[in-house]
Amino acid sequence: MTFKELIKKIFFIEIIGGLALTLKHSLSPAVTRQYPEKRITPPPGARGLHALTRNESTGEAVCVGCGLCAAMCPTNCISIYTSEGEDHKKIVDRYEVNTLRCLFCALCVEACPYGAVLLTPHFEYSGYSRSEFIYTKDRLLENWDKYMGGAKSREYFDKFWTPKSADFARVDAKGSESGVNQ
Amino acid sequence: MNNSDTTLQNDNGTKRKVMTLNLGPQHPATHGVLRLVLELDGETVVKCTPDIGYLHRGVEKHIEHLNYLQVIPHTDRLDYIAAMANNIGYCIAVERLFGIEAPERAQYIRTMLAELTRIVSHLLWLGTHALDIGAMTVFLYCFREREKIQVLYEKLCGARLTVSYPRIGGVKRDVDAEWLDELYRFTEEFPTRVEEYETLIDQNRIWLKRTKGIGVISAEEAINLGLSGPTLRGSGVPYDVRKFMPYGVYDKLKWEVPTGVNGDIYDRYRVRMEEFRQSNSIIRQCIEKMPSGPIMADAPKFVLPPKDKVLNNMEQLIHHFVLITKGPATAPQGEIYVATEVPKGELGFYIVSDGSGKPYRLRIRPPSFVHISALPKLCEGGLVADVIANIGSIDIVLGECDR
Ligand code: SF4
Ligand code: SF4
Repeated sequence: MTFKELIKKIFFIEIIGGLALTLKHSLSPAVTRQYPEKRITPPPGARGLHALTRNESTGEAVCVGCGLCAAMCPTNCISIYTSEGEDHKKIVDRYEVNTLRCLFCALCVEACPYGAVLLTPHFEYSGYSRSEFIYTKDRLLENWDKYMGGAKSREYFDKFWTPKSADFARVDAKGSESGVNQ
Repeated sequence: MNNSDTTLQNDNGTKRKVMTLNLGPQHPATHGVLRLVLELDGETVVKCTPDIGYLHRGVEKHIEHLNYLQVIPHTDRLDYIAAMANNIGYCIAVERLFGIEAPERAQYIRTMLAELTRIVSHLLWLGTHALDIGAMTVFLYCFREREKIQVLYEKLCGARLTVSYPRIGGVKRDVDAEWLDELYRFTEEFPTRVEEYETLIDQNRIWLKRTKGIGVISAEEAINLGLSGPTLRGSGVPYDVRKFMPYGVYDKLKWEVPTGVNGDIYDRYRVRMEEFRQSNSIIRQCIEKMPSGPIMADAPKFVLPPKDKVLNNMEQLIHHFVLITKGPATAPQGEIYVATEVPKGELGFYIVSDGSGKPYRLRIRPPSFVHISALPKLCEGGLVADVIANIGSIDIVLGECDR
């Protein structure tokens, strides 16, 4: 042990350095937020509770019951029951999401060709019974009204409903963009 | 706690019994649900038997029933602290199997995020490891920085922990300039934060007493046990998958592989602290060199078509339906093993493909599983208090060990 090290050891230099640092931080503003008194708004695109898109002109669900979202879901938490209506049209009788099994991976959003299902940034939805977490078609449409309608949904589909043509676009030597994957 | 049948001989010829102690599976310092059966002679560990499997979900079997696209969220849940790195490892493995390659911009984004994940994972490791050994403040400071990165993740892909961001053939969403600016500001500030952690513990006498010369593993033993990542490099072996089998854009950037000398807990700690700086510099280089261009590969048989074309173009619609209902059903037959360097070591995906849209078999080689097998070597002959320090120093996560 050199003399310098000995001095450091005797005078607790490294401990004093650490204490000075903690003292400095204890005087600076705290970074902790006191949830639930102080809440933060999740950024757009945060993957929370599901919603079904409502067609703004007709007021009906956009979903056509193709079942792609259910096929893509890695945990099989979407169930769709359809029947045949007049003119052989497909009618979505029930559309249920079991949020207890959901991974919130947003693969269902990616699978839907119509933009009919999406994830809202709402995440505080605890409940007292299991059945509360099975979201039916009406409740999912309600979620849309509450958390997603209007400009919010346009931003969501613009930014988070991927991939887009631009993601495949190649910037060629002249700098003009050309779409591939035709 | 019960007495085992093992007995030891005292100097005067009498016999004493060895005590068996269960450490875990609910012990907070076992980083999940690891159970260690310790046989103790006084305070000395005579035998240490790890018992794993409390978090077994059967992921590998489950994956056999999912198509390649659906697997990504399941890889999040292996090493949930470094979900991004797992996703990237899986996507690279599948891309090599399919013979496609992600565009350059996507490669840069992936490399950048893999390093960001390394920082997140090491922050959590440093915080909890210090907490186990008795330094509370470091834990709080680490979580402050970790929160910043997770907010960045959330802005990018909507999730903080289980990100599912990379896709086969690219990434889910392009990064915008605003996001990159925010990340760049973080990297400017981060080295001073690392210095703060070092001020607190690097020379602290309690920290040194608890880490120096404890849990020593020589380079030869480390290689024989199959260790990887910082746990191996702490013993002085400069093995890093990123250097030896480069993927992403690691070979285009300037960075070093930090190594230790003694192979004790302190050296493993030092290696990870240096990795903070290296990762930080890699992120900065990625942002500076980030090219423009596509972020998804032009491979319509394996990659979901653009949303704006699905309903306007019949071929795209067919691809969309087939990919989602059957998976990439034109996948080539064969098998492939691809290793990537995740924060904890070498993560390998071994995929056997029978040409259908689902993997016939997917075997995951998690670093934590291998590292746990080194625990008896590290703990036996040491004190019972050092068992906790040893568990911390090999940086395990049971989600990927038990799968
Ligand atoms: S978010 Fe994922 S797990 Fe949840 S319903 Fe959609 S696809 Fe299924
Ligand atoms: S939500 Fe979309 S993918 Fe799912 S059934 Fe409706 S239209 Fe099809």
